[in-house]
Amino acid sequence: MRRVAIAGAGMTPFAEHFGLGIKELVPMAVSEMAAHVDKGLDRADIEAAWFGELTTTDGFPSGILADTCGLLDIPVTRVENACATGNDAVRNATYAVGSGVVDVALVVGADKVRESSARGTFWEWAGLTRDMAWDYPLGLVAPANFALHVARYLHESPATREHLAMVAVKNHKHAVPNTKAQLRYEITLQQALDAPIVVAPFGLYDCTPQSDGAAALLLVAEDVVDRYTDRPVWVRGVGLGLDRVMHQHKKDMTTFPPTVKASRAAYSMAGLGPEDIDVAEVHDCFTGVELISYEDLGFVEKFEAYTLIENGTTAVGGSKPVNPSGGLKAKGHPPGATGVAQCVELFEQLRGQAANQVDGARNALAHNIGGPTAVSAVTVLSSEKG
Amino acid sequence: MSGSRALAAVGTYLPPWGDGRGRTTGPDEDAVTLAVAAGRAALGEAGPQVRAVVFVTRELPLLVGGNAAALLAGIGLPDDVPVTEQVGGAPAVFDALVGAAPGTLVVAADAQAGAPAGAAAALVGDTGVPIELVDRVVRSLPVQSRVDGGPARDYADPRLQRERGLGPAVEALELSDKPVAVAGLVAKQAAALSAGHAPQLATLGASAALFALAGLEQVGTGGLVLAVEQASATAIRIGGVPAVRRDEPAVRAPQRTVDNPGPEIAISLAAYERAFDAKLRWEAGRCDACGTLAMPPRFRCLGCGSEAGWSPAPLPRTGAVYTGVTVHVPVPGLPTPYSLAIVELDGVDVRALVKVTGVPAGTTEIGDRGRLVLRRVAVRSGIPDYGYALFPDPRPADAGQREGAA
Repeated sequence: MRRVAIAGAGMTPFAEHFGLGIKELVPMAVSEMAAHVDKGLDRADIEAAWFGELTTTDGFPSGILADTCGLLDIPVTRVENACATGNDAVRNATYAVGSGVVDVALVVGADKVRESSARGTFWEWAGLTRDMAWDYPLGLVAPANFALHVARYLHESPATREHLAMVAVKNHKHAVPNTKAQLRYEITLQQALDAPIVVAPFGLYDCTPQSDGAAALLLVAEDVVDRYTDRPVWVRGVGLGLDRVMHQHKKDMTTFPPTVKASRAAYSMAGLGPEDIDVAEVHDCFTGVELISYEDLGFVEKFEAYTLIENGTTAVGGSKPVNPSGGLKAKGHPPGATGVAQCVELFEQLRGQAANQVDGARNALAHNIGGPTAVSAVTVLSSEKG
Repeated sequence: MSGSRALAAVGTYLPPWGDGRGRTTGPDEDAVTLAVAAGRAALGEAGPQVRAVVFVTRELPLLVGGNAAALLAGIGLPDDVPVTEQVGGAPAVFDALVGAAPGTLVVAADAQAGAPAGAAAALVGDTGVPIELVDRVVRSLPVQSRVDGGPARDYADPRLQRERGLGPAVEALELSDKPVAVAGLVAKQAAALSAGHAPQLATLGASAALFALAGLEQVGTGGLVLAVEQASATAIRIGGVPAVRRDEPAVRAPQRTVDNPGPEIAISLAAYERAFDAKLRWEAGRCDACGTLAMPPRFRCLGCGSEAGWSPAPLPRTGAVYTGVTVHVPVPGLPTPYSLAIVELDGVDVRALVKVTGVPAGTTEIGDRGRLVLRRVAVRSGIPDYGYALFPDPRPADAGQREGAA
């Protein structure tokens, strides 16, 4: 397979964009990406696009991308893989470029969550990931899906609600310098612990906000990368993993097997291991998910995740910073855009241009989990071609 | 209507919620779930053959297509048992009982908001305690009325009710002796009509007739039992104390929940129909090739991957909590807070994701044990969606709260 590089990245701010529809957000992200390609981008160079969108507003996703971005003459494929959609769109485009069929590919991720009434959104989105007869009527709200795992995790591991709160405090702090982030303010440990309970053990600050937004990447083959930049970021590894869909069928709920499978595949393709990762964007839709993911991604031994948050290892300034962008927790989480935006952040980190820069970062990892906990996509990026 | 019948068994069910004056239904209960609990209590573990079911209540869910399928599935009876759904009170239950053929399960439920809730069931058998009709009278004095399940209207004239309703009805029966138990009246009125210490009954409506029969346990003898409703009455004679099985959990104060307005929760009737039997009968799919159980049943076996087929297999109705959470955030269309649990069922490699019922939200912990009971999990687009919920066992600390039929 040919080597694949990211040559450009851009995104809209993540926010409740009541004033912007999907038809504005998508072209905004693509234009920002194009404007930031070091040596410029002629859109006519783009040969194919992959569009990650979990749900859809205002109609047919692939058509909306082609139409609103002026790309009517190339194939556009929509990717939907629950909350792993973004990194899976990256994976699909990587294969296309790596295979030699496409030299220049566009990857876009977007979602418009705040488009229906707050009351209506819940059941609409729940319908995407629940069994209609068995799970849907139970009121298994999104936080409950993950809380079922984290409740068991807290039961079996030494971690406590305080450790969940530490993740929230860290990621809020990380988001402050990030102009694209939705929640740019610091919180205290006590604020997090005292916040109203959403779904026990999660309080308000353990949860991602509802967000709208879009993000875009330009993926190019090694053969043509020089046309666009002298400082590419290499897509070294991609991986996708799945698990049983229903919680009832997951044997050990203190781990997310999809993450283990996806990261193993991505590490293996990259020829890198968890110890080589200098900075990571990890799917912290709920704080406890970040903790469990430290273990599933191989950053620490089973049930020792709490040590990394306690001793500052995963804060910027620590030895393995996680979510310097603020993560889903504070940057925001428009599901289809989330994974693509993680790669936007890591593109900037590996080029030394991030708002919350991790010094000397060379290898990076992006991670999504969703479905609600049945699919994971992992992307390993590097400033080195490998 | 002449000739004697035998009463094989009586079963009772009371919701856990309430106070000293009576029980109230939980947000996940209706006449059908009450009736199912009472029916299961009456039949016990043995599950004797039932050839017909008569379901009497004034709170019949007005579902076009009927409640019979849910009732049979919940009680665990085959789907070829005829079910009569009847609107009526306590006298109607005795009328059904004395007219029923052996093998008939008469189930009565009271689920009216603001009135004491409960349900009871009686199995008419070839053997058991003999029962026979003494007399009945049917008259009209609708001092309480409801139209189409709407709010109860009370004419509010107790003296009229006593002098022109109850009094003449009892007189018309020309009873030879005083009843040992009276159904359909508040305790004081019932005591005034009775011989000795009439049992205090948990309900006032249809199920009161069968609670009166169960109450003979306290009386210690059979005799004349009277059921009244407004200006109508039926008296039966029972030749002894029937076998009684009670499902009457300790009473606790109703949980304060918030109703969250919202759009109707969507339902797929295709999915409803596919899941119905397993969901209401609490049956897994057992792989025909390797025997692995799957809940819900599925096309491809979880164990061996066989797609050759599966057969329904009853699941254990007890288990322990593997993990659980409590939802506090307002969820449109559902009362909050509520707890969800993944339960490891006893003796099988099956877990179930269910709501928790019968205890305040947030009080159930990992490792807690309980039983699985039929509840109305949700009402979706106007359709009751029945399924199973975990009713946690009382903890030792709760034992002190236990009391009789309140």
